[in-house]
Formats: sequence, structure tokens, C-alpha cells
Amino acid sequence: MNELVSELKNAIIEALNLEDVKPEDIDNDAPLFGDGLGLDSIDALELIVLMEKRYGIKLQDPAAGREIFRSINVMADYIAAHRTK
Amino acid sequence: MESALEHELIVREGDNIVSPLGLDTTSTLRAVVAGESALRRYEGLWELPEPFVASLLDFGAIDRALAARYGEGRLADYTEFERMSILSAASALEESGIDPASPRTHFFLSTTKGNVALLESDNRYRREVLPDWSARRIAAFFGNPNPATVVSNACTSGLCAQIAAMRALRSGRCDHAVVIGADRQSRFIVSGFQSFKALSPEPCRPFDRRRTGLNLGEAAATIVYTRRRREEVSDGEWVACRGAIRNDANHISGPSRTGEGCYRALQAILRDIDPAELAVVNVHGTATLYNDEMESIALDRAGLSSVPVNGLKGYFGHTMGAAGVLESILTMHAVEAGLVPGTRGYAECGVSRALNLSSQPARTTRRLFVKMLSGFGGCNAAMLFKRGGGLC
Amino acid sequence: MLRIRRWVRITPAGAVVDGVPVRLEPTEDPLPVALYRPRVGGYPKFFKMDPLCRVGFLASELLLDGETSRFEPREDRAVVLFTQSGSFASDSHYERTIADAADYYPSPAVFVYTLANILTGEIAIRNKYYGETSCYLLDREDVETMVETVRETFLDGATHSVLGGWVDSPDSANFEAELFLVEESEEGAEWAADELRRIMKDK
Repeated sequence: MNELVSELKNAIIEALNLEDVKPEDIDNDAPLFGDGLGLDSIDALELIVLMEKRYGIKLQDPAAGREIFRSINVMADYIAAHRTK
Repeated sequence: MESALEHELIVREGDNIVSPLGLDTTSTLRAVVAGESALRRYEGLWELPEPFVASLLDFGAIDRALAARYGEGRLADYTEFERMSILSAASALEESGIDPASPRTHFFLSTTKGNVALLESDNRYRREVLPDWSARRIAAFFGNPNPATVVSNACTSGLCAQIAAMRALRSGRCDHAVVIGADRQSRFIVSGFQSFKALSPEPCRPFDRRRTGLNLGEAAATIVYTRRRREEVSDGEWVACRGAIRNDANHISGPSRTGEGCYRALQAILRDIDPAELAVVNVHGTATLYNDEMESIALDRAGLSSVPVNGLKGYFGHTMGAAGVLESILTMHAVEAGLVPGTRGYAECGVSRALNLSSQPARTTRRLFVKMLSGFGGCNAAMLFKRGGGLC
Repeated sequence: MLRIRRWVRITPAGAVVDGVPVRLEPTEDPLPVALYRPRVGGYPKFFKMDPLCRVGFLASELLLDGETSRFEPREDRAVVLFTQSGSFASDSHYERTIADAADYYPSPAVFVYTLANILTGEIAIRNKYYGETSCYLLDREDVETMVETVRETFLDGATHSVLGGWVDSPDSANFEAELFLVEESEEGAEWAADELRRIMKDK
């Protein structure tokens, strides 16, 4: 799981161009949206692409994304349970 | 805008709509009034993995119309985007009677993506993929010696191009302006809107409680403007009175929650206008959750909640760079016929502010209307059109 | 008379403000990032921008640097951009995300930049400008149209200042921005085609 969490953090930093953010800056339980990383609606859509491209998980409904992208840990749990690659 | 040349007005001299509902304004309007829609479901088109609903042109019909006008093969070197633009401009120019080759005539092209589909076969930088190249070719086709201006303000381009034309006429830079709005759909554009989860899997429902997104459409529309002395403008003629462009200063893709830029654009054009004089406010009405909600807030803030409002995307989708030109022309002709077309796809109010909106057409005897648009980049535009030679 | 109150030029050779080169510490970073770090900073959205927006945004930052009440919301300043390549860099990038059916992952973050006017929005958002934002695509040589279009922007009675000019970046290695603050004023060079040509000179 730890491996997935750290891989996920690096993937998010790369996909969302979070140039000045380091993996250790992202709290595993902190909300990804809102104040924390300053992510917006386009980032949420880009995370949907990341889920499909990297883990083969198709999220049709952007509203479902909101639940899954609550925190790194929630995201990692979801990926571990649903990944197809 | 009324400071310069107060004794002159910007008058509609000719127009055309090339849409999937017809290759001229009259047939497109007739279809809209009859409640027809060109929205169809496409599966596997352009090898897109997901199906989509769109309003697409029949290029066979366009090429036959061009061949009838110019002879077979005359436009073989032009792209589809350029051909649809040329067909539309040719008809509008013909009606206007102005000389397109005059140095006193300027061309304005409103498009969001122009020839972008050319990248599919060859994804390299070259002049042909840049919209200013198409604009030059289109203007040159009609013998125009001036550099054509492309207005690229996302979905508001069609109003922004008319505003740019009004200004060029007001300042005396030209005597006639040809404003063409056109966009061709493609794998590029459809996939992009799909990635934004912005497309509706069924025909769109502007302002409706069950709306789920927009449908894309392709069309070309042209309006020709001339500057004329007020006393030479007859009672029935359409005048482009005022226009304003304002930004939300909020987000590059999400509309403002307060409808800020849209409200400010409306404020800038309405000032002394009594809302009871307006036949209709023809809104953007894309049928995305956020756009329609934003527009309802802006209209409410601008004191327009009792004015008839309509949106036309249910007939021919969101035609992007063409939308502002097409929907302005269609509303001119409808109001001229004493009609406010209904909002196709609307059934039950799904926005937070009350609006005077109906799926059915209504009668009107009023002589003014407002057209508004909003788009990515936080841009919003609004124009006020009026019949006759009165003050603007 | 409309005059140029201040101007900025950025090319791969460096940045110039009102004719004075901007001095930078030596760095491994490409020029836009090398300018961003000491001169802007603290605006992570910068790294999400495409090449056109990066260079245009930086030019606007250098242009407005030191202006009093910089971030006060205002409606009287328009942002008017001229470009020829427009969004080509992002168009080409986006096309690569959809070209291969086996590797088809259309990117919304790239797609949003396939509209050249996003740059005007980025500048409006950063500075809280509710005024007009406009983007025109034309040939770099067509300086007269740029001059006239900016002049005509003032026909909107609410517009008393224009932040505008030329920005082009067909790819991340090739970029050029010449941005101007144009206002009715007693001071500064006249807003005229000859002056623009002098500043834009060689590519």
C-alpha cells in the first residue's frame, strides 16, 4: 500500500504539473481539493484521466470522482480495490 | 461606443446561415419555427470510442451549392471549413450588394478552431493550420485586398467579431464589414468536450431540471454591416446598436458563480433601456449545469427576469465560433416575423432564478433584442440590436 | 493622445522592460521559469500554463510590476492580445493525446489551452480585471491592424487603459511577447505603428 501511495503522489504531481510540490508535502489524509493543493475542476477531470490511463479505472460520473479524490488514502484504497492494470 | 460618428448607424445589409437545417437563413428559420432539430446520435464517427449527439453539415449539399455558383472544382483547394465559410459569405454578400473587393470593405472571421482537423493527418506547424491563413484565403477569394482579422474569443467570438466590426465602422476604418462565423466539428473538438464531461448523451435541454450537458454543432453564418446616416435607415432595418465584452476574472473554464462578467456586459449595453422594450434576450443556453445557472443569475441581477428569454442550441447545437453570428441573425429574422422561437428541449425550470422561458414560440411586436454569450477564458459578451433609425 | 506608458519584450534572448534588460542570475531553468522564480513566484498556476500563456503571463507581470493598487478589482482596463500561432502548441500537444487509438487519453488540462484567449483570461484572473478581454489572430507584419484595434477598444466608454500587444509561441523553445500599457496620457511614446515596429524589430 505504501508503495502505491508514493507512486500515486508522484503521478499526481506529474499529471497536474504541481512543479513546486514534493511527495512528502502531500498529507495522506488531507483533502486534495479546497485549500490544500489548490486543485480545481480541471484537475479533477485530469485525475479521472489518470485513473483510467494508469490503473484502467473508468469513472463516468465526475460526481463519483469527488468522493474518490477526497484524500490520497481514499484514492489509493479505491485503486487497490478496482484497478485492472 | 456612441461617442464617434453619432449621426451614423451600423446597419445589417445582408446575411446568411449555412446550417444542417438549411443552406440559407430562410430555410433555417423555417425549420426552427417548425420545431425541427438537426441533432443526431453518432456512433463510431471519426473513430471516437464514445457515441455523441451533434448537429453536422452535409458537405455534399454544400459542394453542390458551391458548384452551382462557381462551377465544378473551383474550390477544390479549399478545406471544408473554408468552403462552408465561402458559401455563407457569398450568399450574404449577394444580398447586401456591397463590393467585397473594395479597399473600404473589411473581413472579420469568428472561429474557435478553424482548420484544426488538418492536424489529424499531419501534426506539424504550417500556415494552413492557422486561422489567419484561412481568413486571408476567404477574403482573397472575394478579391478583398485587406488583411482579414480573426477574432478568437472562444464561444463568445461571434459577438466579439461583430463588436470589432462595429468599432472598425464607427472609427471610419471601413465602410462595410463582412463578419463570418464558422466552425467545423472533428475528432479533436468532440473528444475535448468529452474529456470535460460537458456533452449530453441526448439532445440538450437548456435551462431544464434534467439537463446534462451540451451538443456540438457545425454551421457557418455571415452578416454584412454598412455604416449609414441615420436618416437613410428605414424603419424595418436592423441596427447593431451596442456591444460589450467583460471578463469573470474567476476561472479559465468554470463560469462565475455570480455571473459577474455576463452581468457586467449586460449592464454596459442596457443602461437606459427599459426591459419592457425587449422582444427577447437570446441567451447562450448551452445546457451545461453551470452555464445555464450562471446565465440565470446574471439575467436576474440585470433585472431581466420578466423579459422573454430563449436559447436555440436544441435546434442546431453549440456551433462555437458561428453561434454569435448565427443566433443574432436568426433572432433578427424571427423578431421581424413577430416571433420569439421557443427553447427546444426545455420543460421544467432547472436554474435557481425565475426566468420567462418556454419551449413554445411566442408572438412579439417589440423592436429590440439582446444576444449574449459566455465562454472559456472567463469571457462574456452581449449585444443590443434594434430596428429602425432611432438613436442607439 | 494614446501613448505607451510602459512596455515589455520577452524573447529567448531575454526580457526587456522599457528598453532596459532584465538581469537574471545564471540558472539551468528555461527562460520563462528563470523569470518566474525571482520576478513572480507563489503562483503555482503558472506551471499549469501552456507555452503561449507562460510567456504572455510573464510579460504582463513585468509590465504591471510596481503598479500601485495592483490587485484592486477594476473594469476599466481591457486585455487585448494579438497572436498568429495562437494555441498551436497546445493544439499539437492535445492532438498527440488522441492520435493513437491504443493510447487514447484526451487531456482536459491540455484541451482547455487549445483556445488562444485563455491567456487573456489568465491575466484577468491574476489581476481581477472585469473589463474587456479580446484575442485576435493575425500576421505579425500587420502592425497597423494591431494599432487600430487597440485604439478602437477605447470606443467602449468603460475602457480607459489597455494592456495589449503581440504574444506568440508555436512551441516551448520559440516565444515572443511585446506587451504594452496603452493609455490616454501626456507622457510616453505615441501609440503608433512605427513605434511598435521599432520595439518589435527583429524576431
